[in-house]
Amino acid sequence: MDRAELTTEQVLKRDIPWETYMTTKLITGTCLQLLRRYDNRSESYRAQLLDDDGPAYIRVFVSILRDITKEETVEYVLALIDEMLTANPKRARLFHDKSLANEDTYEPFLRLLWRGNWFIREKSCKILSHIISARPKAREGIISNGEASYSKSKLTTIDDVLKGLVEWLCAQLKAPSHPTSGVPTAISCLSTLLREPLVRSSFVQADGVKLLVPLISPASTQQSIQLLYETCLCVWLLSYYEPAVEYLGTTRTLPRLVEVVKGSTKEKVVRVIALTLKNLLTKGTFGAQMVDLGLPQIVQSLKAQAWSDEDLLDTLNQLEVGLKDNIKRLSSFDKYKQEVLLGHLDWSPMHKDPVFWRDNITNFEENDFQIICVLIMILDTSGD
Amino acid sequence: MNDADVSNQIQQMVKFIRQEAEEKANEISVSAEEEFNVEKLQLVEAEKKKIRQEYERKEKQVEIRKKIEYSMQLNASRIKVLQAQDDLVSSMKEAAGKELLHISHDHHVYKKLLKELIVQSLLRLKEPAILLRCRKEDLELVESVLHSAKQEYAAKVNVHPPDILVDNQVHLPPAPSHHHAHGPFCSGGVVLASRDGKIVCENTLDARLDVVFRKKLPEIRKRLFGEVTV
Repeated sequence: MDRAELTTEQVLKRDIPWETYMTTKLITGTCLQLLRRYDNRSESYRAQLLDDDGPAYIRVFVSILRDITKEETVEYVLALIDEMLTANPKRARLFHDKSLANEDTYEPFLRLLWRGNWFIREKSCKILSHIISARPKAREGIISNGEASYSKSKLTTIDDVLKGLVEWLCAQLKAPSHPTSGVPTAISCLSTLLREPLVRSSFVQADGVKLLVPLISPASTQQSIQLLYETCLCVWLLSYYEPAVEYLGTTRTLPRLVEVVKGSTKEKVVRVIALTLKNLLTKGTFGAQMVDLGLPQIVQSLKAQAWSDEDLLDTLNQLEVGLKDNIKRLSSFDKYKQEVLLGHLDWSPMHKDPVFWRDNITNFEENDFQIICVLIMILDTSGD
Repeated sequence: MNDADVSNQIQQMVKFIRQEAEEKANEISVSAEEEFNVEKLQLVEAEKKKIRQEYERKEKQVEIRKKIEYSMQLNASRIKVLQAQDDLVSSMKEAAGKELLHISHDHHVYKKLLKELIVQSLLRLKEPAILLRCRKEDLELVESVLHSAKQEYAAKVNVHPPDILVDNQVHLPPAPSHHHAHGPFCSGGVVLASRDGKIVCENTLDARLDVVFRKKLPEIRKRLFGEVTV
C-alpha cells in the first residue's frame, strides 16, 4: 500500500480495538489485560511495568505479531516495540528471557521482513537486529535459543535467522524496497551485525561484499555522509575477517577508499577508513597497492590536518610506519633479483624508488653481472 | 528565535553530539574486542606450541631411554652368550683333561708316548746334556724307554746321543686325586731342560693339552658355534 511516510508517532496515535480481538479469540484474556495496562501510558510508567514483568509483555507482542495479520495492528505493535527499544536498547535482552525459551521470538520478525509496507519491513529489520545483538553469548560458537531440549524444527535457529536476515539485507542493497531509506536501513543494520563472526561469514557467502563497494564514494550531504560512514564501518568490520579480505582484494575497494579519505573532511569517516587501511596493510598485495596509489603522501597531508581525536593520529602514524616498512621490504634487492630471474618484471614501488637503485648498484656486479645479462635477454625476447 | 526554536536546536545538537560519541564508543569497543581475539589466539597458539614442544622433548627422551635400554639388554645378552660359550669350551677342556688321566694307566700306550715325547723334546732342545723330570710313578717307565729315545734322537739329527740325567730329587707332581684336588698335579709326560736349566721344554700332557687347545680354539669354536659373530 502506498502511503506517505509513516512515522512511529503517527502509528501510535491509533486506537486499536483490543477487545474485539479477544472476543474473536485472537488474543487471550491475559494478553488483553497486559495490553490495557501498557497501552497509551507514559514512558516512566511503562518502564516500571517492564522492570516488573518485561517478558510477559514481550510474549504478548510476539503472539500478536504471530497471530494477527491486520496491517494497522501489526504496525502498531511494531511501533510499540520500536519505541520501547529506542527508549532503552537494553530491553532487547528481554526477548531472550528464559520464560520465552519455547517461543520463537525471531520468527514473526523474519516473516515480516518480506511482506508488508516499508514501515513494517524497516521496523522488523531494526527490531530483529536489536534482538540478535542482545542475545546472550554462551560459550564461543554455541548460542542458546532454546535449542537444548526442544526440537529444532519448532524454533528458528540463530543460523537460520542470520541467514534470513543477511539475505534480506543483500536483497535490499541490490534492489531497495524504498528509494531513499532502503539502503541506509540495510547498511545501518549491517554495521551493527557485522561485529559477529557468524554474520561476517554469512554475508561473505551471500556475496554481499560487492554490494558495499559502490557505496564507497565521496559524500557531501548529511545523510550521505552518514551512509558513507556506516558503509566504511562495515568494510572495517569485514577487514577483520580473512575470507572477506581476500574477496576485497579482488575488487576495486582500495582505490575507492583512498579516494574518499583523500578528500573527506569528516573526522569519523577518515577515522574509520584509516583503521581499515591499517588492517589491510599487512595482508596480501594491499600494501604494495597502497604505495602505488600514493597513500604515503596522503597520510602525510592527513597528519598535517588538526584532528581532535588522538586515536586517529595514532592510527595515521601507524599507517605511516607500516607503509615505510612495506616500501623497504618490497625494495629488497633479493626480491628484485627473483623477479628478474623469473622473468616477471612488475612495476612495483621499488622499481621507481631512486634510493633503491643507488643502494643496490654494487649488487648488480655479483655473478658476473648475471642480472644485467638476464635483463638484456628479457629485453631481447619480450614483446611488451 | 524564540525559546522553542532555541530549545529545539539545542536538542538537535545534543542528539548530534551524542550520536558521534556513541559511534566513537562503538569503534573503540570493536577494536578492543578484535584485539582481544587476536591476542587470545596468539596466546593459545603459543601455549599449544609450548606444550607440543614439551611433549616432543619427552617423546625424544623416552626414545633415547628405550634405545639405551635396548643396547644395555643387547650387551647383557651378548655377554651371557659369550660366557656360556666360554663355559662350554672350558668344560670341554676339563673333560679332555680328565681323559688324559686314562692314558697313563694304559702302560703299553703310555710307554710309547713317553718315548715320543722325550724324543720330541730332545729335538727341540738340541742340547748334549739334558735334565729330565717326570712324575714319581712314571720313573720306571721313563727309565725303560730312555735308551731307545736317545738313540732315535741321535739317528734323526746325526749327533751323539745326549746325556740325559733323570732328576731323582725333584719330581713332577702326581696325578690329580681327591686328596689334593686343588694342588699342583701332573697328568703325565716329561719336562726336559738343558743342564744349566736355562732352556726348558715342557712336554707334560697338561702342557700339550694347553698348546693344542690354544691352537685349535678357533676351530673348536667354529665347530661348536658355527660362524656366529657375536
